[in-house]
Amino acid sequence: MTLMLATAAAGLFGVGTYLLLQRKLSRIIIGLSLLTHGANILLITSSRRGDAPIIGAGGEERFADPLPQALALTAIVINFGVAMLLLALAYRSWILTHDDEVQDDVGDRGIAKSDVVHDEVADQQQVIAREETS
Amino acid sequence: MSWLVPLPIVLPLVGAAVSVLVGRSRSAQRVVGISVLATLVVVAVALLVEVDTNGTVVTEAGGWAGPMGITLVADRFAAILLVVAELTLFAVLVYAIGEPGAERNHVGFQSAYLVLAAGVAASFLTGDLFNLFVAFEMMLTASYVLLTLGGRHDQVRSGMTYVVISLIASTLFVTALAFVYSTTGTVNMADLAGRLEELPPGIRSALAVLLLVVFGIKAAIFPLFFWLPDSYPTAPSPITAVFAGLLTKVGVYAIVRTQLLLFPEETRPATLLLVLAACTMVVGVLGAIAQDDIRRILSFTIVSQIGYMIMGLGFFTVAAVAAVVFSIVHHIVVKTALFMIGGLVDHAAGSSRLSRIGGMVRTTPFLATLFLVSALSLAGIPPLSGFVSKFALIDAGFADRQYAVVATSIVVSLLTLFAMTRIWMGAFWSPPEEATVAPPPPNRSGGPVLMVVPTTVLVLCSLGVAAAAGPIYALSERAAEDLMDRHAYVAEVLGP
Amino acid sequence: MILLLAAFAVVGLALVAFGARLGRRAFLVGALPMAATAAWVATRLPDVTDGTTRHESVGWVGGLGLAVDLHLDGFATTMTLIVTVVGVAVLLYASRYFAPDARDLGRLAGLLVLFAGSMVGLVLADHVIVLYACWELTSITSFLLIGNRHDQARARAAALHALLVTGAGGLALLGGLVLLGQAAGTYRLEGILAAAPSGTAVTVALVLVLVGACTKSAQYPFHAWLPGAMAAPTPVSAYLHSATMVKAGVFLVARLAPVFATQAPWRPVVLAAGCATLVFGGLRALRQHDLKLLLAFGTVSQLGLMMVLFGAGTPATTTAGWVLLIAHAAFKCTLFMVVGVIDHQSGTRDIRKLPALRDGWRPLELVALLALVSMAGIPLGAGFVAKELSYEALDEATFLGHEVVLVAAIVGSMLTVAYATRFYTGAFAGPRRRAAGEPAPLPGETHRDPSPTTELSDPTLPIEPVDPVVVVKPRAHALTNTTAEVAVVDPDPAPPAPSFVAPAAALALVGVVLGVVPGLGDKLATVSLEDFRGSVPAVHLAVWHGFGAPLLYSALTLAGGFAIWAADRRVRPRLAWASKVPSGAEVYLAALRALGIVSTRVTGFVQNGSLPVYAGVIAATAAALPVAALLAGWDWPGWPRLGPKREAPVVIVLLTAALGAALVRKRFSAAIFLGVVGYAMAGLFVLSGAPDLALTQAAVETLSTVVFVLVLRNLPERFERQSTPGRRIGRLLIAAGVAAAVFVLALTSAGVRLGNPVSEEMVDRAVPDGHGRNVVNVILVDFRGFDTAAEITVLTVASIGAVALARAGRRRRDGEPVPAANTEEVRRLVFVDVSVRVVFHAVLMLSLWLLFAGHNQPGGGFVGGLLAGSAIALRYVAGGIDEVRGRARFRPWTVLGTGLLLSSSTVAAPLLFGGAVLESAVASLDLPLVGEVDVNSALAFDVGVYLVVIGMVLMAFEAFGEEPKEVAPR
Repeated sequence: MTLMLATAAAGLFGVGTYLLLQRKLSRIIIGLSLLTHGANILLITSSRRGDAPIIGAGGEERFADPLPQALALTAIVINFGVAMLLLALAYRSWILTHDDEVQDDVGDRGIAKSDVVHDEVADQQQVIAREETS
Repeated sequence: MSWLVPLPIVLPLVGAAVSVLVGRSRSAQRVVGISVLATLVVVAVALLVEVDTNGTVVTEAGGWAGPMGITLVADRFAAILLVVAELTLFAVLVYAIGEPGAERNHVGFQSAYLVLAAGVAASFLTGDLFNLFVAFEMMLTASYVLLTLGGRHDQVRSGMTYVVISLIASTLFVTALAFVYSTTGTVNMADLAGRLEELPPGIRSALAVLLLVVFGIKAAIFPLFFWLPDSYPTAPSPITAVFAGLLTKVGVYAIVRTQLLLFPEETRPATLLLVLAACTMVVGVLGAIAQDDIRRILSFTIVSQIGYMIMGLGFFTVAAVAAVVFSIVHHIVVKTALFMIGGLVDHAAGSSRLSRIGGMVRTTPFLATLFLVSALSLAGIPPLSGFVSKFALIDAGFADRQYAVVATSIVVSLLTLFAMTRIWMGAFWSPPEEATVAPPPPNRSGGPVLMVVPTTVLVLCSLGVAAAAGPIYALSERAAEDLMDRHAYVAEVLGP
Repeated sequence: MILLLAAFAVVGLALVAFGARLGRRAFLVGALPMAATAAWVATRLPDVTDGTTRHESVGWVGGLGLAVDLHLDGFATTMTLIVTVVGVAVLLYASRYFAPDARDLGRLAGLLVLFAGSMVGLVLADHVIVLYACWELTSITSFLLIGNRHDQARARAAALHALLVTGAGGLALLGGLVLLGQAAGTYRLEGILAAAPSGTAVTVALVLVLVGACTKSAQYPFHAWLPGAMAAPTPVSAYLHSATMVKAGVFLVARLAPVFATQAPWRPVVLAAGCATLVFGGLRALRQHDLKLLLAFGTVSQLGLMMVLFGAGTPATTTAGWVLLIAHAAFKCTLFMVVGVIDHQSGTRDIRKLPALRDGWRPLELVALLALVSMAGIPLGAGFVAKELSYEALDEATFLGHEVVLVAAIVGSMLTVAYATRFYTGAFAGPRRRAAGEPAPLPGETHRDPSPTTELSDPTLPIEPVDPVVVVKPRAHALTNTTAEVAVVDPDPAPPAPSFVAPAAALALVGVVLGVVPGLGDKLATVSLEDFRGSVPAVHLAVWHGFGAPLLYSALTLAGGFAIWAADRRVRPRLAWASKVPSGAEVYLAALRALGIVSTRVTGFVQNGSLPVYAGVIAATAAALPVAALLAGWDWPGWPRLGPKREAPVVIVLLTAALGAALVRKRFSAAIFLGVVGYAMAGLFVLSGAPDLALTQAAVETLSTVVFVLVLRNLPERFERQSTPGRRIGRLLIAAGVAAAVFVLALTSAGVRLGNPVSEEMVDRAVPDGHGRNVVNVILVDFRGFDTAAEITVLTVASIGAVALARAGRRRRDGEPVPAANTEEVRRLVFVDVSVRVVFHAVLMLSLWLLFAGHNQPGGGFVGGLLAGSAIALRYVAGGIDEVRGRARFRPWTVLGTGLLLSSSTVAAPLLFGGAVLESAVASLDLPLVGEVDVNSALAFDVGVYLVVIGMVLMAFEAFGEEPKEVAPR
């Protein structure tokens, strides 16, 4: 890990997060990809870097650590697949709404104003009302 | 017997491949799905018996011994959860086939479902932190597909929330892995257990908390759970059922596993866990009370129940962990059953909004009975399985002198009872509104046979858990002893 | 005993399930287990009175010390007899009370049996948790029974009220019992009593237990649920809410008092609650027009007295309580039955409406009189014995404040006399006198006109929608009640059949017998007492206690009682304040409201449904918590070096492009910037000695950019700026926080590295064991092939999902791509076509070479597949989706499936040959272009990967390749 790359990773994470907190799915997707890039930088810098780890090509003592590379490769491909799924979501949302905006959840709307226990309360008031003879 | 271990992962993968190839014939796909999962139930039981009698079974993928290769580890904890998971997956698949509707008919449904099964099993069995990440990805990607199959508007909306949040979790996971490898140079859990001990306390507890956050998102603990009640209710009811039952518990499993195995006693964020647990319980149950839709009520109670498990973990005693294991088992079964019942209610009454439906205790008495039993169990009414898990947690908590949080959990269980009675009164007791003309249910049992039967089976299973609570709890206790003894695990995997 | 409990459960469940077709006979069936239990206990009586206690135990959860421990001692015998005998009487009564064609009789009978079972379990329990379990079961069954008429809003509300109050108490009880058990080291009741623990925990525990007992036994301020519970059918009220369930709290207090009464919180709590309940209950009873409610408040009052007597915990008071317990069960249940009969025959229970009853009613009147005599504590009633004993006991008691308690007891008893008289005149004498035209002293005749709800004293009557409360917001629940049958008052009701009166008569006789020859109870009373405190002097119950203070008090009581009744009209206004005393009901209502408000506010706050907020909270948490944990025990490893110069330009490009992607307002340019970031990453990988990674990254970036553009071409061109500055600042802060957290954690974690990475072993074993020189590829397909298998599964599923989503709504034969008409054939330029085709095949070959060589040089399945994918992308650019469809010989599904099957079976195959999963086998063969290579099964695996990636790319074009047919209108 070098200062430069730490900065790069941090920068990618920062920008990515900023985009992540938007409402347009395509921006969110970009943000997520930036985040994964940042994570991948952290991965490959998580161990020694050097020559390509191909035996016979060069001195093994200067090899880059191959494991983080393998892990990063796996991560990249997985993210590719999932990104495609997300794009499909955006695409579908465009077909349905002509936008890729992430709308707020309908079910949560107006909860704060709603009077959930109305029935229970009203019923209970009946009981009290009729108990208080006189 | 070590050949049993990879089966729950590999078999569904092959099955998924086959069902992609036979995509032209739904019935062929169903045969594949059913037969694979049926086999896996047997495999899982066999594995549990094996593990419980002869101890942890370890196998190396590709024959590459850990820490270099990927090791699969089946200890009691994993084996128990595997059995419950496969059982639930099987029941829900039957239910899904029985459900009228388009989603299950999609060419992708069966394969995605099998991949989900593989992912869940892999998460339980893997002994390698990065492989756990990949397993999660399998499970999650499949869940994205299942959640959005059909592409209805609300599905797309909630799908966005669900996928994005899960991807944040995945990215955090990779980040955590990067830090872990950069500090320790390994991703094998057993190896990590040894190496993390030598880290300076600061970075070590930072890693512990980071992993807690990563899995906390999946397990839906406060304040990371907000996505759950928005996304689960929109999926087709079988999907919601399996998500509700399993996915969050996989998160809990990962939390328990990593916190107990990877990190030594002194780094454990006990206080943090207890605070989060209390908030999760309270906010979750309040949310449940505030809802009008059965599925949303149930979704919030998931959150609240997760709080119980986190609380148990936060005590970090054998008794408490045993209680956690038991309550995971109880909760998977009961919660899945409840969501299946919710689906049946929706199916019979034409809606799952309490303000619209009612009077079902007359129209579908059998359904009412199923719901009453499961709901009371969830609320921890004796002698049902929920009570055993609640009592175990309270007992362990008081023994650990954690009065405040335990008291909270007791109050929460009363509120849970209230939330359940709201469903009972709204859907089953109170007469329906004149406005809604509920379609007359097909039969008194309240739904298509293929939906009712697996639901009933699961409810019976939950009764079975209560009846056999003695042995099951004893098993959980043994599992908890294993979990609390990190070095035994390390020795099993890496050799002494 | 266990068997008997099982019998209750079986019969009860059977009745609930199948009892419907039995009709009223269901109650007779239900009476069987109770009769059996009563008989069995009767046979045990000799042993019990000899002081032998029978124990039974069945294990449940050994690990938690949970076992079904039962014991049949004196007190348990008493209670079991009460529960079962009264139960039989009630069920016989019920079999006449309900109309033969009434609904849900099976369910009703079954629930009554289940309740009786849990009640018997409760009194037999020798394990506090078992006791608690039965306790909760009685709450649940009571809930279901009160809500029997569940289409009435009032019944539901009463049921909920009862459930929540008793449930809350139950949970307090649970907490208390667990604390108690842990302090005593056992959950066995006898063990706890023997250990008699003390200390802070125990003090808390006792308070909790008492709260539980008070809720269950309807003590102030928790009593309010009991009158509400009168919404239940009269047999249910007679059984649960007068004779048995409400005694559970008293029973528990009685069990614990002998040991714990002396501890600090006990007597103050119990005596205060008891006295208040005793007096206020009596006052409220005096003010009821509804006979049933009068009895209900009477029950409250009597429960208060029992609470006092058992709670005081001295031998004498306990004996008095013991007698009162039995007497009350007998007379109160009788009176409820009487009310039920009157209600049933005449159609009302309101003493202002009751018609005069003909001579045919004399038998019932006699029964009522016998019970009332006992209730009022007039000599030769069992109640008299109890009262004498309690006065005596309280008079001689020595504990602090026993004088006050005595006074309270006397006042309470006066009120009892008063409302007993009110009951008689109201039910029988009054109406007759009215009919005879004489001015009847009709107690409770008020000058204010009664509120409309007082008309509804009878649960069989509908709740009128005019009810001011309901009018607030007419609801389905209220509306449907208008359809309930309207009971009309029969001016000359037919006298009840003897068989209808018989059960009540029988219970009344029990009271008389105990009142005339109380000595019968001596032995049982003695042993019941012994259960609490070792050996005690034998108890002698007698009618005549000689001249003394008690007799004086009794006379005083009777005189005062009648005076109160006679002076009712004048006393009434002075007593009006009694009903002003906040009676738990309002508290409960307020709590309910508060709960509603809190839950909605909290939920509305945290659960606002907006993804950006959720993501923001998560990001902030993920940044804050770990850093906080880090700083707790931080040791700064020192700054690392800046890094090689050659990396600087890459990093600069990287960050600039990232910023660009964030700032531009055009979707398309954002996508391009993202692509630049991707290629910069590839460059970085090259510099880091990761050629495979670089290749993969480049290929992925190409493909995803293409796909991205394919999607974006549909979406609006620009992002319109929509968010407020405040939001933007919030975002910036969180983003900055995340960046800082990553920076700090990265540097800190890089600073500490212990031991050598496991990868060194991989490098050493790549060639000898992995048979490949490209270590990364060997890791991917062999050492960690398991990851890869999972990974291509992810690709498969993701692409399936993508196609499903993108093509949702335009599926023919479930999700198979629709070959669109090949329109573009004509417009295609030949040389483009040719060149594309040449390049296509060249690239395809190259991709194959990468695949096979990958094990030794950079390359491998992913890179190969992705390259092939780019080739396909090329075809697409040239000819559109049809070009791709035309040239790809297989359906994408098939390619995907084959690839996945190939690799997953390479993973699975070794298991068949007893190898480890994914274990590789090696063969050496000679390939064209590549030459002699060691090929191991890992290659087959890699081919699978290759196919999956190609399939995925094909799917991608299936998904986004063509203009959607139908789109939502703008």
